[in-house]
Amino acid sequence: MAKTRSAMRRKETMYGYIFVMPWIIGFLAFTAGPLLFSLFASFTDYNITSHMDFVGTENYQGLFTEDGLFWTSLWNTLYYVLFSVPLTTIGAIFLSALLNQDVPGIRVFRTLYYLPAVLSGVGVYLLWMQLLDPGTGMVNLMLGWVGIDGPNWLFDPNWTKPSLIFMKLWSVGGAMLLYLASMQGVSKTLYEAAEIDGANTFRQFFHITLPMITPVIFFDVVTSLIGGFQIFQEAYVMSSNGEGGPANSLLFYNLYMWRQAFENFNMGYAMAMSWILFIIVFILTMINLKLAPRWVHYEGGDNR
Amino acid sequence: MKKLYTIPAAFLASSLFLTGCAGFQTGNSNDSSTENEDGKVVLDFWTFWGSEIRRPVIEKIITDFNESQDEIEVQHTYLPWGDIWTKELAAIAAGDPPDVVINDINTTALRGEQNQAMNLAEFMSEDDISGQFYPELWEATLHEGDSYGVPFNTDTRVLFYNKDAFEEAGLDPEQPPTTWAELEEYAAKLDVKNGDDYERIGFYPLWGINYDVWMLNANGHNFINEENEVLIDTETNLETLEWLTGWKDKYGDDVINSYKAQIDSQQGNPFFNGSLGMYVSAPTFYTQIRDYADDLNFGVAKLPEMEPGNGNTSWGGGFVAEIPAGASNPEASYEFIKYLTGAEAQEYWAVQNFDSVANIEAAENAAQSDEFTEDGTMVYSMATEYMNDTLLTPVPVAAPDFMGSVNPKIDEVLLGSKTPKQALEEAQADVESLIEKNTRE
Repeated sequence: MAKTRSAMRRKETMYGYIFVMPWIIGFLAFTAGPLLFSLFASFTDYNITSHMDFVGTENYQGLFTEDGLFWTSLWNTLYYVLFSVPLTTIGAIFLSALLNQDVPGIRVFRTLYYLPAVLSGVGVYLLWMQLLDPGTGMVNLMLGWVGIDGPNWLFDPNWTKPSLIFMKLWSVGGAMLLYLASMQGVSKTLYEAAEIDGANTFRQFFHITLPMITPVIFFDVVTSLIGGFQIFQEAYVMSSNGEGGPANSLLFYNLYMWRQAFENFNMGYAMAMSWILFIIVFILTMINLKLAPRWVHYEGGDNR
Repeated sequence: MKKLYTIPAAFLASSLFLTGCAGFQTGNSNDSSTENEDGKVVLDFWTFWGSEIRRPVIEKIITDFNESQDEIEVQHTYLPWGDIWTKELAAIAAGDPPDVVINDINTTALRGEQNQAMNLAEFMSEDDISGQFYPELWEATLHEGDSYGVPFNTDTRVLFYNKDAFEEAGLDPEQPPTTWAELEEYAAKLDVKNGDDYERIGFYPLWGINYDVWMLNANGHNFINEENEVLIDTETNLETLEWLTGWKDKYGDDVINSYKAQIDSQQGNPFFNGSLGMYVSAPTFYTQIRDYADDLNFGVAKLPEMEPGNGNTSWGGGFVAEIPAGASNPEASYEFIKYLTGAEAQEYWAVQNFDSVANIEAAENAAQSDEFTEDGTMVYSMATEYMNDTLLTPVPVAAPDFMGSVNPKIDEVLLGSKTPKQALEEAQADVESLIEKNTRE
């Protein structure tokens, strides 16, 4: 009996490895080499074409002690992550709660709200640059109808990052779809029981719906946190000359790294930057994983 | 369990080794594909000219070259503006670069220093072509005395003004402003105000060009000189910046922003319908006037000088044709570059694209071309003549992105959160420490 069980165990382990194989092969063949190479090169003055001499921790020291723009870019990125992650998560949950109602035409609404998630890239950014134009843009025009004198959005350093966060909120449709799918999977019997006990809609939402979708919230928070730290394109396209202006307010971490790598050809320096970012994101993700058992509810699971 | 890890570990180690080596492989990749079946040398020529206007022109030049001799066959590869140079860099690192590539003139010396572009001294010593080009352009390609690219095209910044508006305002349409003071005076006369709104704005210096062009105009030299001395916090720059903020205060943010949006939309440029009296732009702005406002009665002039005798310095950029380091057939590449930057090809390019070219003879011939209209000839010949007052801003090798430390400070001045003096002092200090850091050891 014990023997067959261990044989089964081994078989399961093997299946497990087979299933993760595509990822492992891809990782080893395409990612691992460059990854380790960048770690090594971050201790050199690598510039791609002419030199790669070992400089010890000079790149890292320079970043922390001499590079003001490094801190500016780190601060800008943190600001963006700090606001965009909670706001887009709450926005997506709110939206999916609305779109989970059984009203006529709900499919049309779902499609409409999902649509921005399908559109992506530079086209959307250019569209938003027009919408947010202080003089002729739609957003300030509509604010004007209700008597609000709209800000200068992408031209005012205090409003540039909020502008990008608004733009992100507009495209929460992607996450909304995940929440919606998860909400539809919540058993009707739970709501029926709650109703018999006299719980109102709000209590049902906070005590049934939210706990039941926590695994998806967890997934969304972790992935959008990582994605948030990687923000690049938005700033590259929407800031003045792709430089991170006005007044460096859109100089995000990856944009600065890109400038170091491809404008100054300080590839070693840029690689050191990428490893610092990796460590920051890694620590935050670890904290997330540690905290997860306290609030994430897996149905039928033993809190794994 | 132990066994399980050995294979991936070996794999990791080997891939690390392989990628580590690839970084230095800038040598030749002498594969057979560089020759075709007729025994001709095949060159791969990378440009970002894919538009329906430019592509046929460059391809005609290539065809002409291919037909003019039977040794070399050039093939054109179009790559989008956004990634041509990052792709080129990757190709150089991989040891299989294109044979000729069009790149930015202001960063040529940097690519020379970094060993991305091939030193042309070897070809120059036998066949010196430097005399064919505007000296300012040629100098921009030099690093430690050797050239790393041959100038192809260029541009400058000129003042366009509306002659009808001049007449209306009681100004002589044949006498454009020549100094900053006149510019202010004329602009004030051209302004037409209706209540709080402007029906016409005379001039605003930061549409079309940026503050750095005005500083170049005032100084007659770049922010960083040959000895890596930083010349940002200077009396002239301070005056310039104060002059610029004066304009900003005069018209106010709302007016400036709404005009700016119209200018950015191209077709709606307020200069076309007469609601902007004067505008600074590259000579190619003429093609927009031609296309969107054909009957506009306009003139072109040099940028006004700060004070009489100070000089009408303007700013220009441009592109070079260069041979990436590690290209397989540099002699053939150089042959093609010579054709590309020679008088015949350059004149064809100039006339077809209404673009300023680097070859002096070609530029002067193009200015006489009867394919241009009267206005076209006026703009083109003025721009050609103006090349002598036009400076480039080659990036200093010691701090290629120093403008990244200056621009944000000036932004803050124009946003009103710093005084010009503060901003220039801070920018000066930041750029000095950047250079100090980069030139240490």
